[in-house]
Amino acid sequence: MLMEMGLDREEIAALATIRSELKEIPAQRRYLIPLLQRVQQALSYLPQAAIQLVAQHLHLSPSEVYGVATFYNQFRFTPPGRHPVRVCMGTACHVKGGDIILEHFERKLEIKEGETTPDREFSIERVACVGCCALAPVALMGDALHGHMMTGKVEGLILRVQIEKEKARREMGDRDER
Amino acid sequence: MPTLTIDNRPVTVPDGTKVITAAEQLGIMIPRFCYHPALGSVGACRVCAVGFKEGPIKGVEMSCMVDAQEGMVVATDDPDAVDLRKHVIELLMLHHPHDCPVCDEGGHCLLQDMTISGGHGRRRYAGAKRTHLDQDLGPLVQHEMNRCIQCYRCSRFYQQFCGYRDLGVTGIGTRVYFGRSEPGTLESPFSGNLTDICPTGVYTDKPSRFYGRRWDYERAPSVCIHCSLGCSLTVSARYRKAVRHEARFNAQVNGHFICDRGRYAYAYASQPERPRDALIAGRPATLAQAATQMSERLAAIEKGTGPDGIALMGSARSSLETQALLARLHSEKGWRTPCFSADDAATRVVSSALNTLNATNTIALTEIEGADTVLLVGADPIGEAPMLALALRQAQRDGSRIITVDPRPVTLPCAHDHIAVSGDDLATAVAHLIIGALEPSREIALDADQQDRFKTLKQETRDIPAAAELRAIGHALTTAWRPAFVCGTTVPDPDVPPLMGLLQALVQTSCMWSGLFFPLPGANTFGAHCLGGSDALFEPLLAAVEAGQVKALVVVENDLFSEYPDQQRLAAALESLELLVVMDCVPSAITARADIFLPTQTIYEAGGHYLNNEGRLQVATPVIAGGLSIMDTGGGNHPPREFREDIPGGTPRPAWQYVAGLATGETDPPDVKPLLDEALTAGVADGERVSLPSASREWPSIERIGAGPEGDAGGLTLIESAATFGSEPLAAFSTVLAELTPLFGVTVHSETAQRLGWRAGDRIVIPDSAPALEVVVTLDDRAAPGVLLVPRRIGIDRTALRRYMAHLLAE
Repeated sequence: MLMEMGLDREEIAALATIRSELKEIPAQRRYLIPLLQRVQQALSYLPQAAIQLVAQHLHLSPSEVYGVATFYNQFRFTPPGRHPVRVCMGTACHVKGGDIILEHFERKLEIKEGETTPDREFSIERVACVGCCALAPVALMGDALHGHMMTGKVEGLILRVQIEKEKARREMGDRDER
Repeated sequence: MPTLTIDNRPVTVPDGTKVITAAEQLGIMIPRFCYHPALGSVGACRVCAVGFKEGPIKGVEMSCMVDAQEGMVVATDDPDAVDLRKHVIELLMLHHPHDCPVCDEGGHCLLQDMTISGGHGRRRYAGAKRTHLDQDLGPLVQHEMNRCIQCYRCSRFYQQFCGYRDLGVTGIGTRVYFGRSEPGTLESPFSGNLTDICPTGVYTDKPSRFYGRRWDYERAPSVCIHCSLGCSLTVSARYRKAVRHEARFNAQVNGHFICDRGRYAYAYASQPERPRDALIAGRPATLAQAATQMSERLAAIEKGTGPDGIALMGSARSSLETQALLARLHSEKGWRTPCFSADDAATRVVSSALNTLNATNTIALTEIEGADTVLLVGADPIGEAPMLALALRQAQRDGSRIITVDPRPVTLPCAHDHIAVSGDDLATAVAHLIIGALEPSREIALDADQQDRFKTLKQETRDIPAAAELRAIGHALTTAWRPAFVCGTTVPDPDVPPLMGLLQALVQTSCMWSGLFFPLPGANTFGAHCLGGSDALFEPLLAAVEAGQVKALVVVENDLFSEYPDQQRLAAALESLELLVVMDCVPSAITARADIFLPTQTIYEAGGHYLNNEGRLQVATPVIAGGLSIMDTGGGNHPPREFREDIPGGTPRPAWQYVAGLATGETDPPDVKPLLDEALTAGVADGERVSLPSASREWPSIERIGAGPEGDAGGLTLIESAATFGSEPLAAFSTVLAELTPLFGVTVHSETAQRLGWRAGDRIVIPDSAPALEVVVTLDDRAAPGVLLVPRRIGIDRTALRRYMAHLLAE
């Protein structure tokens, strides 16, 4: 379907599941936010196709759905990376230069906060406090916490992920050759 | 009716009036961005703050959010309020780009005015401004989101006022964004109004972008001639070129807004193909030569065949001056009665409709907004008269019930009940409405004669599928307080308007207010009717031409080929004429065939009077002197270096001048009012409605209720009806509107499609059509079964289309 352009196979499958679930949900405006939450739960973001699907079901215009969805910070419109980078901007981290760390991530990954790299490996978010102010400034990569961040460490963290990826790719290649 | 004091001056206003409106009545303009008289208050911009000194409220409050109350003392120059307003403007200017020199709004920008008058001139905030990406909103409106000050006027206008949903607000905080969910052409046919209501330059007029500043333009009040409603316009022109239409407030007709057809229709006046020179047998000639030859040859023909040998053809887009002088030419010279339309079917309906109007039942467009029930029969507002749809939307927002009875799948930007009735059954449908209104309750008293008539009506009215539903609606009409009745004049047959008049007259006795409203086919159709030309039909004229009785035809501003369906017959008849004189301001199929062609001026150069669909006399002021635009003649030189004594391309004269030359040789514009008085036997003033006959309680004679539909019952009927874009002869020349005109298509009920073997999206190539015509099939189950609906489109081969549809019918 034209609507599903730009989505990967898993996402198309998830969208199909949601489409089948829609039959249960009455076409009333008050189901808009629960529906969007359901989509985000399944796809971890709201692609254009999902917005159109929801709009169609609730007899709203995509513009209205988009208007509601963008009002809330909990909804995102770009897919999260496989290694989401979360940079803490809580009080302690802020004082210790969290913004420098965030800016460094942005520069190294060539994306802005709230965006995802084209290969969907990394995304950057700013978070409030992660609760370990003694380690400030703090950044999370995936679930791993990295304390006492420095600009020099940023490149190392990114490089580590890329090396892991390269290693996995080669192993796959070796297996194929065998 | 509270009395309050604003800036030491007392004012008494109705209950519920906001302080900002009360101040307006004193001529005090309190600053505002989000407040708009048509959109109401939201209190979003905080710039209308005033000081409340005495009374129920004290302190600084927003004047758009506070109802005027007894004993209030308001100071708009209260130091606290002035200080607050100053800071609010500074806040709004925080993110506003300093791009006024390259912004098209500069010069008529409310934000610019308020910033200057508020005294904010120095930027204190040193941080980065928030920026947005702009969207491509189509050919009409330019989007520049960085300039936004979050007044919400656009989304309120677009969604609440107009009822379209593809543009709205997204985001929160500094991310607030007004636009669509993705870039694309705006769906609303009222989108151009965004450029008028935006207090700054977020939405600007795209076709006239970077053409000039407000103060560069020659501006004059004018009237829209692109449908019969006659909305008020302000025309802007520069370098001898009309480049912008803006809505001009008119409390009776269009309110604050106009539709996109009217706003962007001006391109015909400056198109490169516009004929600007007189032609004799296709060769350029001077105006004097052509005029002399015209008079001489007409005189010769008159001598040979008598005055009956010369026929006059006017049009519904000509000014009253031209129409009136054509009528006078007929009365002075004895030439044949001028005919104003080649579409006889429409002329008959218009005639019966306008004879139904009287002094008490005629209503203005804005009055429809106050109706509590609106019944539309055979009228498609969005296509025929877009601003009517906007008035219906306002009525519906106030809780009014809108009912459409039509063979077409009428779409409106508001909730409405639609009853599909085939075109032949419309009169019967109204008869059922009347029966419904009279039958079950007898709330309406009838005298003996009327009861007899009603009995006959009941016996003669055929049963149609929607009869029960229509009778229920008819009954509901008797309980409405303010019902309005709208009846189209292109799709119904001539019996429908008098029946609607009867229904209105009957219902009138049981309600507070009611009225009739007839959208007409042309801008000045009412004028043509008043000047007596409405009874002159084209078919007899054409027959007389074919029989050789008419030797000369003078056609004034009318492209017969776009109005008359049988193009071959028309072409052959015109060929047989001894003399064909054509006067027009646009190129058309008939211009090319003229023996003598005289170029006429457009409304921008000639001005003129026009009677709108309710008979309101309105004036268009000339805006420019005429001639080719300097942009076109200058060849890119700056300044244009072409030196001559006359204005290049300035030959055209007003059409009435040529006609006057034939009659009395006058050169000054005629005063239309005495001419109208002759026709109407009563005086009329600019902006007022012409006097209409007083109401008669006569039961109209109705012929066709009893008769079944023409042809066999299961037959197909072809309906050609006006569409928003592409149907109006002048607006059709606009290239920006051409981009919005959908592919030519036929809309049918799915049952009918099945019968014909059509599927949605099929492309039917019409055989033997020139230029080749392809028709896209659209299915719509809200259409009446058996109806083939096509839009009226200028320049398509209607003969081939009709031939093909007739062939389908035969099968």
